[in-house]
Amino acid sequence: MRRFRWTEWILTAPPLLWLIAFFALPTGLILLLSFRSAAVHGGIGPEWTLNTWKSLADPVYPAIIWRTLWLSAACTGACIAMGLPVAYWIARLPRRVRSWALLLIILPFWTNFLIRIFAWRTLLHPDGALKALLVWLGLAEVNDQLLYNQWAVLLVLVYTHLPFAILPLYAAAERFDFGLLDAARDLGATRGQAFARVFVPGVRVGMLTALLIVFIPALGSYAIPELVGGPGSEMIGNKIAQRIFNDRNLPLASALSVVLAVAVFLPLMLGVWLRKRLGDGLVSRGGHLS
Amino acid sequence: MKLSRMPLLVSLLVLIFFYLPMGMLVLQSFNQARFGGDWTGFSFRWYSELWARRDIHEATWNTLRIAMTATAISMVLGSVAAWCLHRYSSRLQQLHRSLVYAPLVIPDILMGISLLLLFVHLNVPLSFNTIIVAHITFCVSYVALVLLGRLQDFDESMIEAARDLGAGWGTILRRILLPLLGPGLAAGGLLAFTLSIDDFVITFLLAGPGDTTLPIKIFSMMRRSSPQIINALSVIFMSVTFAIVILSQRLIRPKP
Amino acid sequence: MKFSRFFSFAGSALLAGFFAGCGRDDRPVLHVYNWSDYIADGLIAQFEEAFGCRVVYDTFESNEALYAKLQAGAAGYDVIFPSSYYVSLMAEQGMLQRLNHANMPHLKHVDPAVLAAVSLDKEMTFSVPYMTGTTGIAYRKDRVPDFEASWRVYGRSDLAGRMTFLDDMREVLGAALKTLGHSLNSTDPAEVNAAADLVIEWKRNIARFETVGYKAGIASGEFWVVQGYNGDVQMVIEDNEDEDIVYALPEEGFAIWEDTMAIPAGAPNVELAEQFINWMHSPEVAAANIEFNYYHCPNTAAYALISDEVREDEMVFVPAETLARGEQIRDLGEHLSLYNRAWDRVKSAH
Repeated sequence: MRRFRWTEWILTAPPLLWLIAFFALPTGLILLLSFRSAAVHGGIGPEWTLNTWKSLADPVYPAIIWRTLWLSAACTGACIAMGLPVAYWIARLPRRVRSWALLLIILPFWTNFLIRIFAWRTLLHPDGALKALLVWLGLAEVNDQLLYNQWAVLLVLVYTHLPFAILPLYAAAERFDFGLLDAARDLGATRGQAFARVFVPGVRVGMLTALLIVFIPALGSYAIPELVGGPGSEMIGNKIAQRIFNDRNLPLASALSVVLAVAVFLPLMLGVWLRKRLGDGLVSRGGHLS
Repeated sequence: MKLSRMPLLVSLLVLIFFYLPMGMLVLQSFNQARFGGDWTGFSFRWYSELWARRDIHEATWNTLRIAMTATAISMVLGSVAAWCLHRYSSRLQQLHRSLVYAPLVIPDILMGISLLLLFVHLNVPLSFNTIIVAHITFCVSYVALVLLGRLQDFDESMIEAARDLGAGWGTILRRILLPLLGPGLAAGGLLAFTLSIDDFVITFLLAGPGDTTLPIKIFSMMRRSSPQIINALSVIFMSVTFAIVILSQRLIRPKP
Repeated sequence: MKFSRFFSFAGSALLAGFFAGCGRDDRPVLHVYNWSDYIADGLIAQFEEAFGCRVVYDTFESNEALYAKLQAGAAGYDVIFPSSYYVSLMAEQGMLQRLNHANMPHLKHVDPAVLAAVSLDKEMTFSVPYMTGTTGIAYRKDRVPDFEASWRVYGRSDLAGRMTFLDDMREVLGAALKTLGHSLNSTDPAEVNAAADLVIEWKRNIARFETVGYKAGIASGEFWVVQGYNGDVQMVIEDNEDEDIVYALPEEGFAIWEDTMAIPAGAPNVELAEQFINWMHSPEVAAANIEFNYYHCPNTAAYALISDEVREDEMVFVPAETLARGEQIRDLGEHLSLYNRAWDRVKSAH
């Protein structure tokens, strides 16, 4: 038995040590560095201080944090709203066709993320075809800018994260017993009611996963607001990058990163806890639902 | 039960939503006009301009080098990690598990910054090596995840049987584990490779002087060049990644 | 076995990748960190051939970004191109090498008139002038027929969403300071804050802060009014043969700047760096650069070599009366933090 444990430690050591050194340690370092002062011309200062944290009281930051939260939430909401019908549809397809449908959904994800953003920049060009169409339909003025505002950011965020939402929703939909929907119809429910009251709760574990998988990375967006956002649509990621690249205020960048990490950690813990509760609840009821 | 139209409709709209920008990219890459407003003629000129640009070749080469190194090392670390997580279930593994899963949910910018601060603090100059270290760190988790999935379907009794028959771990590794887990390993490796060539934020934060990778090049070109040349580059990039995806699908297709 | 073939292929590809990385190039390497589109095409290749080396060329978009990168310990650069008002700051911090003029005979060509009037490092102790130019407004006359050469165009809400500013603290705050009748090197907190307030008002009308993308933007019609550098704008006009783009120097005043070449302390290849700086001031090279980027390289020998068209171009060689309306950007010393805070306020405001 002794030799067995030695083997375990030796085998686990390489990945474990790597992750501790290059993941756990740096994350702890951010927390530590947020308590240092900033050197006058950039870099890490020599003293320990609470000033960096105090400077976060500046009204600028709550505004950005709020914007980050609401954009991420809106993106998540949109992704789940669109993802549910898609997951439903794919799960109802005959088995042979399903993997092709999934491939079709997933394929855009495999293109480089910057390229996708760039494609939207071209599409949303103020003199482009899409804008012309909108003007013709009377939905936009000639001088309107589709780009460089919060809506452009939201649009591209949804575009980027939708495939990630569809996958777990589909995984849950696959295990859903569609017979329950027939039963609901027999009992007099309309299609819409059956969808909303039977299907949606039936895949709620998938919804939870989708929520986590979209909301948390969206919080940390940097490139999207940078490239299609305007001066008024900065998110925390941009601020952190600005602090690092332009101001060289590393302690402040660290403090903001800690804020972001907390914003990430809380829903994550909540989500994991909820998942356990949901998972147990469903199994103990002995239903067909996952 | 009769299929409701709504999910079908939404799915079609979503598919159009997905492919519209990319279709436009492909179309415009053949447009002769400099700024892609109106179609002025079919042309390969952007592709030939692309061919002539040495800086893009260099960036591509850098990207591949980083990806191959990071993939190789993360495949090793990731398989070891998956094996341990599957086989053992001690407290050590609980810690191990949370460390393996955590990078999957942390936003890239956090991971990039924490590593940047680590290197700045330790006075390690930024270079390709720092980028590779970062790539390995996030790739390990993905490889481990994919392999763990395959391991769960793995039939342990084969190993027991082999040991009963006197096989050493070396033989077991060569004759049982690698062949059966091979496709999963390959899929994990391909996933890691694609993530590495695609990565922008982390690489951007950790790049040293002159370290340009393709995503970084695209980012800087997005602000500068005629958009058409980026379209051409994008089309090529897309075709390569699609080819890799199709290949990986072939590899992990369950054996008949 | 399909996958084993894949493995051997992958394995050999990996190995090939590893080894191909080594032993590829024995030539000495020069790392150059410059603004984008600043050196004529083909010149770098010429330098590589003439001196038997390889040049790794990186670009940055603002002095702050350059400074931040060097501060972060990016120690691999040999030649950098800071603006003159950053040189004294960097020299004070020991970030720059003293230049050995004995190694750079071409420095005798540097125009003494420009050194006296514009340069801040007049003895060329730490930096050598590279190009000097102005910052003004470029606009599309087909979209803005009623343009008046004033910074107040940024207050026009009918042009909202179609204008950009440079993402540069000194340039933007400077424009506002000039509009309010102050010096763009003002150290008076009241003036600087008033300028910041004005920019915040203007900010409502701009699409974004753009130091590089405005060029493609104005050429494609995405933007109609952009704050830009004279040479960049001229490059856009020439490259696109677009006569609808016009460069204007506002009445209230504008910035005059000078970009320089310098060698960071701890540069890996100081000798090659000095050779590069020297070579950049050989008359033919300087002339080629002027013809390429339409800026004024203060090299007297080069003036004779450029075409008449460029020599008489008032955008490149600005006449004295026009230049008198402009003001040189200077180093602010310890007052820099005043501007930093104001800029931060601008960037964060709605």
